[in-house]
Amino acid sequence: MNILNDWPSFLPGLLAGLGVSVQVALLSLLIGIPGGLLLAIGAGSKKKPVRTLIIGIVEIGRGTPALVVLQIFYFGLPASGLTLSSMGASVVALAATTAAYTSEILRGGLQAVPQGEVEAAGALGMSRRDTLRFIVIPQGFRVAIPSLIGFAILIFQATSLAYTVALPELLSQAYSIGSTTFNYLSVLVLAGLMYAAITVPASWLTCRAEKRLARHL
Amino acid sequence: MTIGLTVAALGIGALGGIPLALCRRSTIPGISFIAVSLIEILRGIPPIVWLFIIYFGLGTALPMLDPLTSAIIGLGLISCAYMAEIYRGGLSAITRGQWEAGEALGMGRQSVLTFIIGPQVFRVSVPAAASYAIGLLKDSSVAYTIGVSEIVYFANDQSRQSSDALGPFFLAALVYVIMTIPCAWATRALDARLRQKVAR
Amino acid sequence: MQQKRLTKPMAIQLDSVAKKYGDHTVLNNVSLSVREGEVTAMIGPSGAGKSTLLRCINLLERPDTGCITVEGSQIDAGTNFTAKDLAALRRNVGMVFQSFNLFPHLNVLRNVSIAQERVLGRPRKDADARSMKLLERVGLADKAKQYPSRCSGGQQQRIAIARALALDPRVMLFDEPTSALDPEVGLEVLAVMKELAAEGMTMVVVTHEMQFARDVSDHLVVMANGSIIEEGDPEQIFTNPVQPRTREFLRAVLER
Repeated sequence: MNILNDWPSFLPGLLAGLGVSVQVALLSLLIGIPGGLLLAIGAGSKKKPVRTLIIGIVEIGRGTPALVVLQIFYFGLPASGLTLSSMGASVVALAATTAAYTSEILRGGLQAVPQGEVEAAGALGMSRRDTLRFIVIPQGFRVAIPSLIGFAILIFQATSLAYTVALPELLSQAYSIGSTTFNYLSVLVLAGLMYAAITVPASWLTCRAEKRLARHL
Repeated sequence: MTIGLTVAALGIGALGGIPLALCRRSTIPGISFIAVSLIEILRGIPPIVWLFIIYFGLGTALPMLDPLTSAIIGLGLISCAYMAEIYRGGLSAITRGQWEAGEALGMGRQSVLTFIIGPQVFRVSVPAAASYAIGLLKDSSVAYTIGVSEIVYFANDQSRQSSDALGPFFLAALVYVIMTIPCAWATRALDARLRQKVAR
Repeated sequence: MQQKRLTKPMAIQLDSVAKKYGDHTVLNNVSLSVREGEVTAMIGPSGAGKSTLLRCINLLERPDTGCITVEGSQIDAGTNFTAKDLAALRRNVGMVFQSFNLFPHLNVLRNVSIAQERVLGRPRKDADARSMKLLERVGLADKAKQYPSRCSGGQQQRIAIARALALDPRVMLFDEPTSALDPEVGLEVLAVMKELAAEGMTMVVVTHEMQFARDVSDHLVVMANGSIIEEGDPEQIFTNPVQPRTREFLRAVLER
């Protein structure tokens, strides 16, 4: 019972941290998903070297833990002369991770568009670019939406890793409050619940989105 | 260390996920709800936060929780939730017919579960579990934040000590990639093979 | 009948088209000519290569060797041809597919208009006006704002025909247009095709509809095992097939 009494006092600090977490997540998605789309299109290229290069980039991007990517951009980069703020490094790192992961999701979506439609567009004389723009991407993206939302939830969770690069996000705030009050358990549990408060409804939304989509097809 | 941590957590998850998945399917009103809530909370809170809760939160009260144990418990619990969901998917993929066939043969629910459904769920779950395992391997990197001496810890150490700040991290990244790429290939091959047996 | 053939100019010419998938020969040096305004029906057993040959005409299938000439545009499969050459050839060819291949995320009107805008550069208003005219012609003007999923199979195929016609092609290719439809529903589509033929459109139709082949086509092509085994006047071939393989096939088909 003692635990719960302290919660209201923690809220202002934690909410500020939550704001930063959400900000970083949204920015990373806004930059990363278009990047992922470009990679997905590139992965379907007819030229083998392009395909191989892109698949290589994607595999490395997906194989490296987000934590390591964060460290590379924040700690590692200054040695090469480029110093990023913790916010900057977090956004760049998570955007890169987003691009790598979403490229696979989007590639699946783009492939799900029936080949017959692509043929019809070709038979009508539409250029490859027009076919992509008007036929493949609109449908492919729609199919990918539930998975993309699912991934967005994971990226939001990943912002907690930015604790290691001194970003004042939710976890950092929780930890610093904990270290001053020595009541780690209480504040960390509250922070955890705040994460869950966003991710759990969002997951539920994904389920709904998936069912809605299945209906239209 | 990384591999050991991953294997331990995966083991806990694979075993713990079974009762959790069964509880979720339970028709007794309260149990299903508790199971779902547990799964959602375990998956909804970031792994690093869980590790902090266990190590810093509980660790101050229970002194026997060293970094490694905390990491194993934390990642193990999260794995239970993910494996429970994987099992759930596998269970629903198996047609009703199997249940009915088993019961028609006179086998009790327990037997059907253990001998007929169970093995099939396991087979169906393997690709999903493998890909989760790969994710877990990468997630284990967060254990470094509570002091577990694994790859990222060493990389950070090296980076700070030596003049080459970027190198150790790239090396760490390379190690993770090298670990996960064969797993990814194997998963893809396995997935293709299993899909063949499930003809449309 | 044969005399009439020889006086009309050539719309499509396929010269020694060959294609292999690994060891399997799909097209065995096939040559075919189609005259302006002529309706050519292609029949034969499954796997004969009819669809493949049809799809070679607008290069949806790339033959290994052979020369394809459509309304003056020529492409030699052996050489490297440019996207421009391909576009020039395809501009004159319209195609209707067995599985319709309408774009499900666009409404019917947009389906018919989009290629006009993007390929021919027609402004939206003009494209839509033309689309409406064509939809009226196939009897589906009221469906303009609906989505393909709300239309029946026969309706979708008629929309597909309108979509192909919207680009004013000189030649229309039909790849088993009624095979995915109920027999009754197929009649709607065949009616539209008959009208097109009567108006003088050059058509090549791969079909299993023997009645259509017999009544509507001017020239019949029978294929088996990657080659044309018999071709000529439809009535003649149906009543008195020369090749034993043709006889076998027709017997099986007509005795159902």
